Amino acid sequence: MTQITDRSMRTAAFKPEADDDMLICRCEEITKGEIRRAVYEGMYEITEIRRWLRVGMGLCQGQTCTKLVQRIVAKELGVSPAQLESAAARGPVRPIEMACMGNEKGGVC
Amino acid sequence: MERYDLVIIGAGPAGLSAAIEAARCGMNIAVYDENKRPGGQLFKQIHKFFGSKEHHAKERGFHIGEELLAEADRLGVDVSLDTVVTGLYPGNEVMIKKGGQVSHVRGDTVLLAAGASENMAPFDGWTLPGVIGAGAAQTMMNLHGIRPGSRVLMLGSGNVGLVVSYQLLQAGCEVAAVVDAAPKIGGYGVHAAKLARCGVPFQLSSTIVRAKGGDHVEGAVIGRMDEHGKIIPGSETEIDCDTICIAVGLSPMNQLARMSGCRMEQNPKKGGCVPVCNEYGETSVRGLFAAGDAEGIEEASSAMIEGRIAGIACANRLGFLEDGKAKEAVESNEQALDTLRQGMFAPKNRGKQIEKTDEGFPVSQHLLVTGFLGDDEVEVYPGVTHPKGLHPVIECTQNIPCNPCQDACPHGCIHIGSFITALPAVEASAECIGCGRCVASCSGQAIFLVNEDIGGGYASVTMPYEFMPLPEKGDIGLACSRDGQAIGEAEVLDVKSVKAFDHTNLLTIRVPAELSGKARFYKAAQQ
Repeated sequence: MTQITDRSMRTAAFKPEADDDMLICRCEEITKGEIRRAVYEGMYEITEIRRWLRVGMGLCQGQTCTKLVQRIVAKELGVSPAQLESAAARGPVRPIEMACMGNEKGGVC
Repeated sequence: MERYDLVIIGAGPAGLSAAIEAARCGMNIAVYDENKRPGGQLFKQIHKFFGSKEHHAKERGFHIGEELLAEADRLGVDVSLDTVVTGLYPGNEVMIKKGGQVSHVRGDTVLLAAGASENMAPFDGWTLPGVIGAGAAQTMMNLHGIRPGSRVLMLGSGNVGLVVSYQLLQAGCEVAAVVDAAPKIGGYGVHAAKLARCGVPFQLSSTIVRAKGGDHVEGAVIGRMDEHGKIIPGSETEIDCDTICIAVGLSPMNQLARMSGCRMEQNPKKGGCVPVCNEYGETSVRGLFAAGDAEGIEEASSAMIEGRIAGIACANRLGFLEDGKAKEAVESNEQALDTLRQGMFAPKNRGKQIEKTDEGFPVSQHLLVTGFLGDDEVEVYPGVTHPKGLHPVIECTQNIPCNPCQDACPHGCIHIGSFITALPAVEASAECIGCGRCVASCSGQAIFLVNEDIGGGYASVTMPYEFMPLPEKGDIGLACSRDGQAIGEAEVLDVKSVKAFDHTNLLTIRVPAELSGKARFYKAAQQ
């Protein structure tokens, strides 16, 4: 957990920006505007935003967009990106076919 | 569940180096890599590396990769390729996927050496085909022999951006410009100078506003930035290009480390979120080590040494190497690592403004902004002298850890001394025999042999030349200055290609005597 837990800190209304339609998460096709809006809807943590929008849950598993998302969220919250906690990492960390997941050597215990 | 003394994730410079050290101690090792060939990024690196002679300096990256692989092979290290590590669980249990099947192995020690991924820079149109990472450009050119585009705009002036831009030129692409948001060139001055003398312009304090084009890149709009990073209205200019190459830094691969539960930190000097490690590379999870870019972004030479240290530490942990020997081996590697981490570009100096070299010479601000040294500026450095007859001119003006030129000269013309980051000085008393070894040994291509008076009002300039087709003796072309401008006629006097020079050809041109201090590149006349 980071310092940013105070959900009441944001009171301003969402203001659209010119580049809100720019794609940030290419794999899941999530735009900058959607990520910014999520912050205004009360999601201050990368893990929450990931669950809400699926950013970083596609083919590259956030390898491309994680830093970009952090930067956008940090800017909206007025904090440094380093203050934001990374999203939880879970296996499989690389995309893997379901058939493969079910085909475990020695069987599933 | 299969059990190994050491499981290494990633067969790049760090992972292979660790495997070599551990195998020497008799450990039972598994190395996994998701790629189809081992070596990590080394096989894309066709340029000569900096550093000390003892640590592969002046060797081309892919040769270093070949040597590592051969050494690993000799020691019986088995690298499983096409093998994806998909998870790291408590007890250093590693989940791997190979050939449509998953399995679990346990490592008594585990080394994370998965490297890094490229950062991206979002701008309007950044998802258009034709916008590629610098790593992708290298993969296409240097592994598959495919030109990524015809005219490329490079975003990022760090060493990756500079080196890849040069390789693009070598592959026959045009480089429209190197753009960077910072007000100064981020990489080594010698790398920038190689581009500038080929005529590549630098546009600093600038960024890409948008990529133009419907279904692929057909150009770019760049704009100058004010001190707050906002585009200055009216500063936008259009750049004609069909490819935009992004080289804005790397991020450590950290998913497995995060999954393991080891302590992590956000460390901007290490490129992002990395595991907190002790001096042996061990994380807060006992037996779990990290090395190379996965532990903090640096370059391949330090990754190899970090890998060696981690390999030795793992061997010591499991009793394959006694304490005394391990300590000795770690210390000598740490000394080498410390040597590489000196100078103006050392991690500890990142972001600092340095105005004087260690010796007290002014750092060329011109070089940092335009990519080339001013004609007058160059005169102050100890590598630039004007004796009669043939002599080396060394345009190496920043303290970087590199010293092969010192040993290259059989006559002791070049002196660096014991501090590897010191600027090379030309010894007035020594006699240059014109062998050209120093020219070929300089990874920064910053050494020239000059004879300011060869008679008839002419001078000769010998330069490193790594482009195809090679000019031929007798060719008449253009002499270019440090900024790539044609400044006079040049006749090719000699082209020397020696096996020991490893594809750095020595091109000697004859120029009017007054150009001896200015002519630093040659272009064929028809260009």
